[in-house]
Amino acid sequence: MKFDVIVIGAGPAGSAASLLASKAGLKVLTIERGPEPGSKNVSGAMIRVSEIAKVFDTSNLPAEREVKKIKLMLSSKNGDVSVEASPLTKLVTVSRLKFDKFLWQQAENNKALLIPKTTALGIEKDSSSYKVITDRGEIEGDKIVLAEGVNSLLSMKLGLRPELSPESTVQAIKEVYSLNKEEVSKRLNLSSDDGLAWRVISNSPVPYAGFLYTYKDSISVGVGIPMQELIERKIRPYEILDEFEKKFGITELVKGSSLREYSAKIIPEDGFPKWRACKEGIYAVGDSIGLVNPLVFNGIGPAIISGSIAGTAVTESWSCQKYVSELYNSREIKEIAKLRPIESEMLGKGYLSVYDDMITNLIESWISGDLSEVSQYKSQFPSMIKHLLMLWGSMI
Amino acid sequence: MKIEEKLYTLRYKRDEIPHLEIKDQMTCKKCEETYGTPQPCISVCPANVYSWINGKIVVSYENCVECGACKIACPFNNIIWKYPRYGLGIALRYG
Ligand SMILES: Cc1cc2nc3c(=O)[nH]c(=O)nc-3n(C[C@H](O)[C@H](O)[C@H](O)COP(=O)(O)OP(=O)(O)OC[C@H]3O[C@@H](n4cnc5c(N)ncnc54)[C@H](O)[C@@H]3O)c2cc1C
Ligand code: SF4
Ligand code: SF4
Repeated sequence: MKFDVIVIGAGPAGSAASLLASKAGLKVLTIERGPEPGSKNVSGAMIRVSEIAKVFDTSNLPAEREVKKIKLMLSSKNGDVSVEASPLTKLVTVSRLKFDKFLWQQAENNKALLIPKTTALGIEKDSSSYKVITDRGEIEGDKIVLAEGVNSLLSMKLGLRPELSPESTVQAIKEVYSLNKEEVSKRLNLSSDDGLAWRVISNSPVPYAGFLYTYKDSISVGVGIPMQELIERKIRPYEILDEFEKKFGITELVKGSSLREYSAKIIPEDGFPKWRACKEGIYAVGDSIGLVNPLVFNGIGPAIISGSIAGTAVTESWSCQKYVSELYNSREIKEIAKLRPIESEMLGKGYLSVYDDMITNLIESWISGDLSEVSQYKSQFPSMIKHLLMLWGSMI
Repeated sequence: MKIEEKLYTLRYKRDEIPHLEIKDQMTCKKCEETYGTPQPCISVCPANVYSWINGKIVVSYENCVECGACKIACPFNNIIWKYPRYGLGIALRYG
């Protein structure tokens, strides 16, 4: 049996592509290596409902809590600074297994077919169509969507993208602690079902970003550490997570609860438009082309939007040029592309840690009525303001 | 809590065939001479899959959480990194 399109990966990007293509009447087969959609995937996770709603029906979205408060904390040897804000857009937390199954279900309702527990190992061109080789056999399809996520072995094999380097990779690890619903609200000072999100930037013992999200009856915490820091400083990722939990009172906060899950996944800090997104009837989407907004860990929204563009591309047999320009035309993806230089500047030159020092230092001296510190940082102000506005702007 | 205890929170279905392999142990020796210990693969792994024992890298592939870090960290491209077959390996509840 031959399919019109074979989608590799049933994450948010793959489900979006499968949904659009099957809605248009194409015969879609989706291959997923996990036992079910979401079972191999890791996120914090907080999503913007408006982004998901561009592609999926969100009326029964399995949200954990709506995020009503965001706390941004900067921490350096000079001290800590924290700012609280209410989001301007609807943000909710989700757990990936439920969320990914929910997204896939909509593709399935439109007759897309899923083969789970199956890994695609290679793609061969067969005169006019493609042959996908899996660990269970071969399947034929006219077009291919590569939605493999960050470890996209096929995209690399096909020469669409290179392997990431330690300088452009963040190692992220996460823990979920379970508590009952009332305890989560009580311990985090939330009224009933409201949710909270923390974003932390710290530079001790190495520069890292930390997060805390509230689920219904659990708390999710984690850190993202530039891989190069781990290698150079010979520190393990879980040592940083321990440090984060101790320093910000999370150890106390989760006291008496049990650890429900420990997980990890790398986050790409490079990709489209530098990497190729397309090759004769093969369209790559989401994390496989590095579509993560690096400052805020927002990857699910861009994954879904790029997936939907690929879904239309396979339906209308777009050329690669058209596909790439349509990707570029979407606000979310353009924003990521525009952030690339700033991203490498901030990670590469350790700006994150310079700002951390600078801001906490400035505020400390301001509070104590001594403004002599200000002139020391004057030359950095323009770029700092640009970077901070982007960080803040993309967060709320 | 020790990392091995944290890994108990995960559901694993073990693939009998290792999905991770070292291409050449001599390269790991060279790596140790250049980078000292712990080598990059050991530093980045959140699941203590790699250990340096008697001048050799030992790979406890059954503990792997499939994050993808080690293959990028290895300066010599000395790890054959695959996914476990047939959906084996980890299955997450939250993710
Ligand atoms: C710790 C952490 C926190 C994060 N927090 C957030 C957050 O709060 N909000 C947010 O928006 N984003 C967050 N992200 C980023 C987000 O997780 C990703 O950007 C998003 O999952 C990308 O979606 P995707 O569909 O492209 O890839 P994935 O979700 O990775 O899906 C890829 C799918 O393909 C399957 N697959 C891969 N290879 C094969 C193969 N060869 N054969 C068959 N199947 C295959 C995988 O099993 C998987 O199901 C976070 C990431 C991490 C690591
Ligand atoms: S980083 Fe690579 S070469 Fe070095 S010890 Fe590990 S596997 Fe061997
Ligand atoms: S993929 Fe991740 S968990 Fe698995 S061995 Fe490599 S670094 Fe360790």
